[in-house]
Amino acid sequence: MRTSLTLLLGGLALLAALPALLSAGLLNAAVQMLIAALFASAYSLLAGRAGMLSFGHAAYFGVGAFATVHGMNAINGTGLLPTPLMPLVGAAAGLVLGIVAGWFATQRSGTAFAMITLAIAELLHALAPQLKGLFGGESGISSMRMPAWGLNFGSTTQVYYLTLAWVLLSLALLHFHTRTPAGRLTLGLRENSHRLRFLGYDVHRLGVSAFAISGLFSGVAGALQVVANESANYVVFDAGVSAGVVLNSYIGGVSVFLGPALGAALMSFFGYAVSDATQAWLLYQGVLFVLVMMFMPQGLVGLGGAAARGVSKLGAARAVPLLLLWLVAVLLLAAGTVFLVELLQRLCSQDYRALARAAATWPPVTMFGRSWTATGLATWAWPVVLLASGGALLAFARRALK
Amino acid sequence: MNAPILELRGLRKSFGETEIIRGVDLALDAGERRALIGPNGAGKSTLFHLISGNLAPTEGSIAFDGRDITGWAPQRINRLGLARSFQITNIFPKLTVFENIRLAVLRQQPQPTAFWRRVDRLPGLREATDQLLERVRLHPRAATLAGELSYSEQRSLEIAMTLASDPRLILLDEPMAGMSAEETDYTLALIREVTAGRALLIVEHDMDVVFSLADRISVLVYGQVIATGTPDEIRRHQGVREAYLGEEVAA
Amino acid sequence: MDALLFGLLNGLIYGLLIFMVSAGLTLIFGMMGVLNFAHASFYMLGAYFAYTLQGLLGFGPAVVAATLLAGGVGAVVERFFLRRVHHHGHAHELLLTFGLSFIVAEAIKLLFGNFPVDYHVPAQLDGPAFTIGSQQYPLYRLLMGGVALVMFAALYLLLTRTRVGIIVRSAIYKPRMVEALGHNVQLVFMGVFGVGAALAGLAGAIAGAFYTTSPNMALEIGVMVFVVVVVGGLGSLGGAMLASLLIGLMTSLAVGIDRSLADLFALVGAGAWAEGVGGLLTLKLSSLSATLPFALMLLVLLVRPQGLLGDKT
Repeated sequence: MRTSLTLLLGGLALLAALPALLSAGLLNAAVQMLIAALFASAYSLLAGRAGMLSFGHAAYFGVGAFATVHGMNAINGTGLLPTPLMPLVGAAAGLVLGIVAGWFATQRSGTAFAMITLAIAELLHALAPQLKGLFGGESGISSMRMPAWGLNFGSTTQVYYLTLAWVLLSLALLHFHTRTPAGRLTLGLRENSHRLRFLGYDVHRLGVSAFAISGLFSGVAGALQVVANESANYVVFDAGVSAGVVLNSYIGGVSVFLGPALGAALMSFFGYAVSDATQAWLLYQGVLFVLVMMFMPQGLVGLGGAAARGVSKLGAARAVPLLLLWLVAVLLLAAGTVFLVELLQRLCSQDYRALARAAATWPPVTMFGRSWTATGLATWAWPVVLLASGGALLAFARRALK
Repeated sequence: MNAPILELRGLRKSFGETEIIRGVDLALDAGERRALIGPNGAGKSTLFHLISGNLAPTEGSIAFDGRDITGWAPQRINRLGLARSFQITNIFPKLTVFENIRLAVLRQQPQPTAFWRRVDRLPGLREATDQLLERVRLHPRAATLAGELSYSEQRSLEIAMTLASDPRLILLDEPMAGMSAEETDYTLALIREVTAGRALLIVEHDMDVVFSLADRISVLVYGQVIATGTPDEIRRHQGVREAYLGEEVAA
Repeated sequence: MDALLFGLLNGLIYGLLIFMVSAGLTLIFGMMGVLNFAHASFYMLGAYFAYTLQGLLGFGPAVVAATLLAGGVGAVVERFFLRRVHHHGHAHELLLTFGLSFIVAEAIKLLFGNFPVDYHVPAQLDGPAFTIGSQQYPLYRLLMGGVALVMFAALYLLLTRTRVGIIVRSAIYKPRMVEALGHNVQLVFMGVFGVGAALAGLAGAIAGAFYTTSPNMALEIGVMVFVVVVVGGLGSLGGAMLASLLIGLMTSLAVGIDRSLADLFALVGAGAWAEGVGGLLTLKLSSLSATLPFALMLLVLLVRPQGLLGDKT
C-alpha cells in the first residue's frame, strides 16, 4: 500500500514536471498519450469491469470531439463557457449517445452486444461524410482556443496542463465509481448478470448506466483531443480508432484500474516513436495484442505479478537470471520478427517491385540504415537465427521458471 | 382462512414438442413450509423457473399474494418478495464471499444503484452483510473468492444470497446437495430458523430433511402433482409409493 | 420498371453473396458459441489469394486454390489459436479473433498496399448475359449468384443427407455425446471451421473480382454479416438466408431511389420547410443505402431481439 502510494505520487510529480523536461514536439505526444490513457480507462469501465465488449467506442469519442468543436465555435469567447470547461460539452454529448446506444446495445449480451456496438459506430462513420454541416466533410471542422482565466492557451505547455488536469480529474472520478454501489454492481454484471435479476436488479438499466458513464468519459477524451488539435474530422469515427482502444486496454491489462491507461500510454508512445521508422507499426501492435491474449491474459501489468511470483517461488538468486534470460529471449524474438516483417514489406512494396521488374536481378533493400541483398543468404539468415535462438531461449526460460 | 401466498393454476410448460409441466395446480399458504419431491426429471426445477420468472409458462397462471405474476420479469417478482436459490450454484465467482452477499443485501438500501457515494459508507450495509455471513457460517471465508469455495460452502453462500432480500416466499432448490451430515443438520436448523413466519417451497432429495422440515409435501411426477398432504399422508399414499418412494419408506 | 428489375436482381445476388459468408459464420457460431470476428478476413484472404495466383494459374484455378488456401488458414487458426484460449471464455475468444482480423488487415496493407488492387473479372466472363429493356445484365453477376446457390444446395445436402453431415450437426448440438460415441469432435470442429473459412474465401475470390478488392473489404462485409446474424437470429441458417436476402434487396433497391425525407414532407405541403432545415431531411435515400442495414438491425432489436428466426433465450 505504501509502495503504490509512493509510486503514484512519484508518477504525478513526473507528469507535472514534463513540460520542463520535454521539447514541444514530445510534449504534444505526451498530450496525446494522456488522452489515449483516459479513453482506454473509460472504455475498460464497460469492457473490463462490466464485461461488455464494445468494438465501436470511437463513436463516443467522436461525438465528444464534434460537440466540443461546435461548442468552441459557438460559445467560446463569449464568456458562457471558457476554454478550460469546454470538455463538459464533450462529456454531455458522450453521455447522451452512451445512453441511447447503450439502451439498444444492452438488450443483448456477449457477442451480439459487441456486434451492435460495432454497427452503431459504422453507422456514424457512414453517415458522417454525408452530413457536412455537422461533420465538415473531408477537411473537418476547425476552431480556436480562446483565452480564459488570464491564460491565452497558445503554448503547448498550457494545453498540456489543461489536459493533465482533466485526465487526472476523470481518472479520479472513474476510480471513485469503482467504490460506489453502481461500481460494485458493474462487477456483478460481468460476473453473473443472470443472478442479479433474481436479486431484484433491473439488469438492463444497470447496463445502460455503465455504458453511459463510459460514453461520458470517452466524450471527455474526444473533447480534449479537439481542444489540443483545434479541429475535428470524421476519421475519428474510423474502425481503427475503436480497434486501437481495445488493443491498448487489453495489452495493458483490464484487471487493474490503471492497466488500460498504462497500455494506452505505452502504445501511444511507441507509435509516436517508431511511426517514422516503420510502416508496420500497427501490425506489430496487433501481433503484441494476440500474443498477450494467448500467453499473458492479464496483460502487461500482469507481467509484474508473474515476475514477483517467480521470485517468491525460486528465490531471487535463481529467478532473476532466468527472468533476464526470458527478457533477452523476448527481445531476440521481437528483433527477428521485426526484421522479417520489414524485409517482406520492402520486397512487396510497389516501388521495389517496379525496380525488380526493370532490373535483371533483384536490387538490394535498404533497411535499418544499411543495404541488404534481397536474395542473399546473409540477409535471410538474420531473422532465422534471431527467431530460432529467441525461441529456444524462451522455451528454456519458461520451463525453468515453472 | 387467508388467501394462499402462492397459487399455481393449470400451469403448463412445453419446450418445442416436449411438455415438461403438464398441468400443475398448487396452493401454498403464507408461512407454510412445503417440500416438493419427485423423481429426477419430474420438472421440479422447471417449476421453480416458472414461478421465479426465469421461464414463461405455455399455459396457466401464477399468483403471488393475490397478484397475477404470470410472465413477469425475475427482478419484478423478486421485488414483490419472492426469492429463490439455484440448483446449480449461481454466484459471482471472481468476487469475494463478502462482496457476493453485499451485492444481495445492497438491494434493500434506498438507493442501491447510487454512483455518488461510497458503498462502504452506506449505513447498515456492512452490518447486514456480516450478519448473514455469520448465519451461514461463512465469516472466516469472507475474503475468499467465491469461486474458490468448496462446493458445500458455495451452497451456503447461495442460501445467504437468497435470504438477503428478506422475502415472504423462499424457493430453495436442493440447498443441501453435496453437504455432509453435520452441515446438513446445521443448514436444516438454519432454514427452519430463517423461514419462521415465511413461506417456503423446497426441493430436496434427502427424505429425512423433507419429512422433518415440511408442514406439507407435494409430489411431482412427470410434470403433474399427484399428491399433496402431510408427511404421514404422503408416506401412506399408494400412488406416491409406487411412483417414487419404493421400499425405502417402509424402513 | 427496368431499373426495378435490375435492382431486384442485383439485390438478390448481393444477398446471396452475403449469405455465402454468413452461412459459415452461423455454423461456426452454432458450434463454438463464439462469433469469429476474423471470419470476414477469410473473405478478404480469398480475394487476395486469387488475385495473387491469377497470373500464375488463370482465373478458375486461382479461385479454387484461393478457396482451399482460405480453408487451410481457417483450420490453422482454429487448431493453433482458438483451441488454446477456449478455456478462458467467450469474451477472450472474441477478442482473440478480433486481434487476428486486425493482423490480417494490417498484413495485407503492408504487403499489397493500403489501396485497392487491380483484381478484375477475366475478359471471357466480362460480358452481358441478357438484356433487360435497354440495359445489359452482366454475366458475371449471374455467375456469382449461381455459385452461391450451388454452394447453398451443396451445404444443405451435405448437412442433411450425408453421414458426415449428421455427425457435424450432432457435434454442434451435443459435442460430448458425439465424442462419447467415438467420433473425433476436435477434428469435426476444425473441419467445420475450415469449411466455413473456405466458403468465405470462395465468396471473396469471386466477389473481389467484381467489387473492389482492398484491405477494407473485410470490415465492409464483416459488419454486414454481423448485421445479418443479429437480424436473422444467431445460429439459424434459415434466418441468415432470409436476412441476407432482405439486406441485399434493401441496399440494392435503395441505391436507385433518389428521394429524401424532404420529398415525403412535400407530399403534405411541408417540402419547402424540410428543404430549408436540410441535414438529415435532405439526404437522399441513395446516399443512405449503406446505412439501411444498421437501421434494420436496430429495428429488429427493438421489436424482436432474438432475431427473425432465432430462439428466444
